[in-house]
Parts: sequence; structure tokens; C-alpha cells
Amino acid sequence: MNTRIQIRLNGKILTLTVPPFRLLLDLLRDEIGLTGTKEGCGTGDCGACTVLLNGKPVNSCLVLSGELDGADIVTIEGLKIGPHLHPVQQAFVQEGGAQCGYCTPGMLMMTKSLLDENQNPTEEEIRFALSGNLCRCTGYAKIIQAVQIAAAELRKDEAGK
Amino acid sequence: MEELAVVGKSVTRIDAEEKVTGQTVYGYDLVLPGMLYGKALFSTRPHAIIKRINTEKAKNYPGVHAVITGADAPWIHGETIKDTPFLAQGKVRYVGEPIAAVAAVDEDTAQAAVALIEVEYEDLPAYFSPEEASKPGARAIHEDYPKYHKADFIVTSPLPNVCEHFKLRTGDVEQGLRKSDLVLEQRYRVPAIQHAAMEPHSAHAMVDDSGKLTVWVPNDAPFRVRTETAEALGLPPEKIRYINPYQGGGFGSKGGLKVERIAIALAYHTKGRPVRVKFNRQETFVSTSTRHGAIVRIKSGVKSDGTLVAREITIYWDAGAYSEKSATVCIRGSLPSPGPYRIPHVKVDGYAVYTNKPVAGAFRGYGIPQAAWACEQHMDDLAKRLHMDPLEFRLKNIFVDGDITYWGEELHNVGLKETLLRATEAIGWGKTEKLDPKGFKIGKGFACISKPTRTPTTSNASVLVDGQGKVTILAGTVEIGQGCSTMLSQVAAEELGVPIENTRMHPLDTDVIPFDSSTTSSRSTFHMGNAVRHAAIHAREQLAQMASGILQAPEEHLRFSDGKVFLKKDPHHAITLGEVIRTQLGPDGVVRGNGSYTYELGKDVDPQTGHSDHASAFYMYATQAAEVAVDEETGRVRLLRVVAAHDVGKAINPLNCVAQVEGGLAMGIGAALHEELVVDNQGRVRNPSFLDYHLVTSLDVPEMKTIIVECPAPDGPYGAKGLGEPGLAPTPAAIGNAVANALGIRIYDLPLTPERVYWAIQAATD
Repeated sequence: MNTRIQIRLNGKILTLTVPPFRLLLDLLRDEIGLTGTKEGCGTGDCGACTVLLNGKPVNSCLVLSGELDGADIVTIEGLKIGPHLHPVQQAFVQEGGAQCGYCTPGMLMMTKSLLDENQNPTEEEIRFALSGNLCRCTGYAKIIQAVQIAAAELRKDEAGK
Repeated sequence: MEELAVVGKSVTRIDAEEKVTGQTVYGYDLVLPGMLYGKALFSTRPHAIIKRINTEKAKNYPGVHAVITGADAPWIHGETIKDTPFLAQGKVRYVGEPIAAVAAVDEDTAQAAVALIEVEYEDLPAYFSPEEASKPGARAIHEDYPKYHKADFIVTSPLPNVCEHFKLRTGDVEQGLRKSDLVLEQRYRVPAIQHAAMEPHSAHAMVDDSGKLTVWVPNDAPFRVRTETAEALGLPPEKIRYINPYQGGGFGSKGGLKVERIAIALAYHTKGRPVRVKFNRQETFVSTSTRHGAIVRIKSGVKSDGTLVAREITIYWDAGAYSEKSATVCIRGSLPSPGPYRIPHVKVDGYAVYTNKPVAGAFRGYGIPQAAWACEQHMDDLAKRLHMDPLEFRLKNIFVDGDITYWGEELHNVGLKETLLRATEAIGWGKTEKLDPKGFKIGKGFACISKPTRTPTTSNASVLVDGQGKVTILAGTVEIGQGCSTMLSQVAAEELGVPIENTRMHPLDTDVIPFDSSTTSSRSTFHMGNAVRHAAIHAREQLAQMASGILQAPEEHLRFSDGKVFLKKDPHHAITLGEVIRTQLGPDGVVRGNGSYTYELGKDVDPQTGHSDHASAFYMYATQAAEVAVDEETGRVRLLRVVAAHDVGKAINPLNCVAQVEGGLAMGIGAALHEELVVDNQGRVRNPSFLDYHLVTSLDVPEMKTIIVECPAPDGPYGAKGLGEPGLAPTPAAIGNAVANALGIRIYDLPLTPERVYWAIQAATD
């Protein structure tokens, strides 16, 4: 039995007919064709599939499509601001926050969520916010630096407004 | 020498932007037209005869296209020992071994059909320890081992279940021990751990009407796996094509035929339709490969002045159920296991031993981390008994330029001493800055390593320059996250004098790209860096010849920079590379430069003595140091900071070098403090998930300081050596030494979990 849902995905309204048990992760990757959101474990333990659901970070491998009617979803493909990289993307590029890059989309969505809430996080707050996003390449040092730089950049933007 | 323009600069990774925008297509993301979905059935027994398999119900399940067992895929593969069936042949040797596979219209259907396959087993006695499995009288896990096809260098043993016996014999170890003032013998253990690359394993395969097999897989050695596949299937290599999508980390796990062989076997039964096989995280943990668990017995003799006289080492490498890369891990991990020290009398026996456990294979460091865990803690214990400072003791014995190693090679360009001095200085060795806080003991420790690279090996490359002045690099090095595409672009940009934005790497496809041995063993910067450099120089020479006519100046008066050719004396007299090509070859002209590099002097070690006068194209040297606070009440080891000093020869991209080391450190910290693939007494992995297998998180890494030491290798590109692997090799031993320094207690087994440390403290207090 399929269900009809309407979602706002990266700012665009979509109407879909899907099995209600289809995972949001599979919906994005297999049905809609947005493969930027990654599958690392499928059990909510690694954070690679993090997307923003109504502004909050979720593991999309733990969300069922049946719950999504009316939801606002932002994925890595929706992070750019027009043609420009979002400051968190820019900072990850500059600081070397991505190596193999597989955890990067989830890491960036989690970072965006952190900085939406708190534009001046301490190092400890950054470490805590990202502790559910596993990375096997970087040792996190460059990621934490990138988040600090992005936060400073966003504060500057805010001050300039 | 002219100043370098791009090499040596921390340029931004050329693949960064596509990675932060989610555009990168990894193996796990790949979609092929008309593809079917494969799933495998895995053994639930550690060692058993397969009495019967019934696939009838699975075959009749709606949506199923193929159900296959070992009878339908009767192929055996193996890089050095051909012992591994594509699907189990009559028996299983570990829990997690693929037995059968299904291809269906979607993954859920395939999984449902797999669940309908019935297997009847007859259990056999199983071995879970390499010491037990190699005891005289133990039952053979591979009855046909003597008949297996093996590489020439494999040394067999009369002991049961030994698939490779490495021997190193230098001097007379018995006599050396007799002449020593102090003899110490210890036994260290390292458990299996898993690579846990963030991208799980997957492969896509298709057989077309002409019989050509194409495999899409992020494999770290596309040419080597093509050879292995060709040998197994009995096909000429040109009938096989490997295409590499991006790899989401590998660390040694994504090489050889793992998930690949299931996709390939199914592709022969799907009438030309491609098949995708994805391993989930649990399957990735259990059925790909692990790092070798190891048991290391080490015995040393020293003079009372601290001079090392003799060292005897026996290592049991737990190969798991199949040989995979065990033979070469055994050889290259055992060879330098006595450490980077001058020792006149050395005897090493390394045994790679089959057990009924998940298959062990290549893992970043290739045996060096296990050996270092033993050797470097043993060094500290020797120093303690000699009443010597561990730094002074090492300085007295470490490799320096001109030394002849115990494997018979004269060393040059040894940056080890500088790494040792700088790492110990940075950690404040010998200084006590703070008193132990209440309930904690503070300690410092350090450890050194040297690591060889696989030798001899070959890299080839081509560099294309087109009429727009754009440069395309054809190189078989796999971007596994290490930043090779940026490094190679820097090399090409340097030699052609073009902005790095004008360079790109061609996607890796064995039908197009020239041969490269592998993206392993930290060999790429040195070997492929040289090949791309030669190719770029070859292209530049052709361009110089053309430009010389246009600018009416001899070639030696020309200079390449900013995408142009100048007259050295008159920089205004210039022409762009694109114009040179367009003028000489027309608007669609292309200049192609070719390059090749092999370390010609390289020679495998002698199988009987372990000797070679050129065992490695270069050596990597490192010292790492750690400061810890141990909670005496709970046994928890808190890392306060770590320092890593690495001799890289020449940092082509300093930022990426630091990034490699930091990633290595985090992996080493995990191995030191919490990682262990736990196998129970029935051969089942008990923690195959990120919930139960504790990967290092952002909360687990302390302050990290990386020191880049540059002791150039004359044969390396711009003096570069390699760096991919050593970042994690000395880390556990450095932490172990810091814990021993804090507590005054030596712990011999990894990982240093709170429980293990707690009981060690209790045992010492009793």
C-alpha cells in the first residue's frame, strides 16, 4: 500500500507516492536520485546520512517516508546559497575538512544545524555536536578547525547585515 | 635550483568542492541501466562440511533472476596463494563466508530469497588462535594447501595451518644472547581490528555478449585485481575491465576480490544485465577483511652500556580463514619487526597461520603497527632494567645514515633521529610540568618506527595538454581520500608551468589508463609522482621544441610559467601553451607526454635468510609521543596530547601531509584504547556495528601536533618519500609506554580498555 506525501525538498515542493515504510535515505537516494546523502551503517550509528528535517538534524536511515507529509527537508544538495558555497562548505574546502569525503555531507548538515543554533560554539560544543558523525580519515582536527572558521565567517556576515 | 611554484605549497584539494556539495559518485552511489540487485548467503558455522544446499524455494521466489552456489562459480582466487573460492566449495572455514548468492529485481527481493536457501552443515573442529592452529597435530583447515598454486617466494612449513613462514637469519643469535649482560623475553598480543571505512563495500559487474567482463568497484589496485580475476576465471586480462568510481576510504580493505567476486559470479548468470552487490555495515565488518591479530614473542640481549647485541622474534599472524594478503603482510611486517636499530645478531620467524576467523588482509601499516606495539614497549622495558633513559637508549642504537641493517641494506637519507629528537622535545620528555591530579597518574611515552614500501613496483602515466592549455593526467593511482589527485596535479602543474586549476585527473579505467601496480604501501607519491613528473617533462620538451620555432629562441632560453612559455630574458616575449599547440597542431591538437617509473635496484628479500640489499625503494621514519592521565579508580586512559614527527622526504602538499598524519593518529588512538573485533568461541563476530565497535569520535581525539621532517630521498620526486601508512604505526606503543610511565606497570595486550588497565592496576597492588 503506497501513501501520498507532499514534501518541501531543498526549497522545492514535491508530491510523491511511496510505500510508507520506505526510509527517507532510500527515498532521497533511490527514488529522487539525490545520492549526496550517504549510507554508512543503516542503523543510525554513524551520521553519514544526516539531513535537516524541519530544521533539525536527523539520521535519514531512521526516518520513514510515511511520517514525512508536510515536512521541510534540506540535504547537502540544498546547502549552496545560489551559485555560492555555504560558509561551512567553503571552510571545509579551505581547511582540508574532507578527505575521502564520504562522511562530509552528513558532517556539513550537522555543522549547519549547530551553527544555526549557536554561532559562537566553543571547541567542546563543536566536538559534542559532531560526536555522532563518524569520520575514519581526518582525525576530526581539520573538521573542527573548519567549523570554527565557518562560525567566524557567519558571525561576520551577521554583523555586516 | 629554481624555486618551486606549486610543489611544496598547501594548495586546496582539487576534489574538495565536489565533495562538499555531494556531487562525488562513490561505488555505493552508482546506478547502472537495467541493473539487478545481488545479496549473498553467509556461513553461520566456523568450520563445517556443507552436506547439502537447497536453493529451490529461492529460485521460485517472484522477482528472482538467479540463484547460485559454489557449483555455479567454480573459481578459486588468491593474490599469492590460490586458496579462496568465489563461493564456498563443499566446506566453510569461517562464520561470514559467502556460500550462495541471489540476483533479483530489487534488494529486498534478493534478501528475502536468500533467507529461503537451506544449508545443512556437518561441523568440524575449529581453531580461533594461531598458536593453537599451528601446534603439531592440529587438523588442517585447508586440506589441499600443499596442492594450492603459490607465488615463488612462499615458504611453507611443516607446522599445520601455516600458509607462510618468514625467516630472517643474521649473525648468531644464541651466541649474541650468551654474550649479553642482560636478556629480556616478553610476549605481546594485538587483536584483529576492522578498517571501518565510512563507505561500506560494493561492486557492480556485467558480462557483455562478447564475453567481456566489466566491474565497477572502488578497488585500490585495479590492475592487480584485474590480474587476479583473469587468473581465476582463466581469461586474458584484455577481456576484463575495471572501472573505479570514487572510494569512500579503504585503508587496505578495498583491494583484492571480496564483494567483487559475488558480483562477478552473479553477472555470469544474469544474461548481460549488470548486477550490483552492496555489503551492509555488518557484512563489511565480517566478510571483507580485518587487520591481522598477532602474537609477538620478543627476546633481546643488551650490553650494560645499552648496546643492543641480539634479538629473537617469533610472530604468529592470525590469517583467518583464507590467505588474502597474509603472506606479504607476514614478510613485510616481520622483516623490520626488530625495530629501526643496529643489531648484529637477529633471528625472526614470522608465521601466517590459518584460523577459522574472518579473513585478515592488508591494513594501513601492513604489519608494522603490530610489531611496533611489541618492539617499542620492549625497548622501554630494556631501558628500565638498564637504568637508562629510553631516549638515550634509542639514540645509542637507532638507524643513522650509512648503517647496514640486519637485513643487509645500507641506509641513506635516514630522518629517524630528527623525528625522535623533535617528537620527544615537543612532548617535553624528561620534564615534569605538573603534579598528578588526585586519583590520576600522568605519564609520557614515545615510540619509533621505520617502514619499507613494496619493492620493486612500477607506475606509468601520461599527461595530455590540449589547445586550450588544459592538462589531463592519466594515472592509475586511486583517489582513496589521501589526496593523490591533488598531489599529482601539483607535480604536473609544476613541470608544465600551468595553474593547478588547469589540471584534472582522468577517471580510472583499466581499458584507458596505463598500468600502475597499486595504491598501497604508501608508494604513490614516490612512484606515481615520479611517473607523472617524467610524463609532464616529456610533454614540456615537445612544447619547448614547438615554442622554440615560434619564439625564435633556443629551447634552453625558454621558461614555462602561468600557462605560458616565456623567453627567460624577456618575459614579455611570451605565448600561451594553448597557442603553441593550436599554431603547431591545429585547434584540436593534443601533446601527449609519457612517463614511467620503476625502482630498478629493488629486490625481494631472500626467502631463506630474509636478506636484500635493496628491500625498499625508500623508508618512512617516524616517532610519536603521547601524554596520558590514567584514572586509577576506573582504569580509563585519558589522552592529554599526542605528537607525531614524520620524515616525509619532501612535503609536496604540507597541509595534506598533516591531514594524513592526523587521520593516522586517530586510527592509532582507536587501536590503542578501544578497537577490537571480538570473535566468540563459536567464531561469531560479536560487535559488527558502530554501536558495539567503538570507532574514534570527535570526543576521543586530544590535541594533536604534527611535525614534518624533510630528509630528502634523492630518487623521490623533489625528494619525497611516502606517508600514507605510518601515521598510526607507532601510536599504540607510544600510548602504551606513556601508560607504563604513569603506572609503573606494563600491559602487554591491546586495546588498553578501562577494564584491562583496571585489572592490571589491581594485579600490581595485590
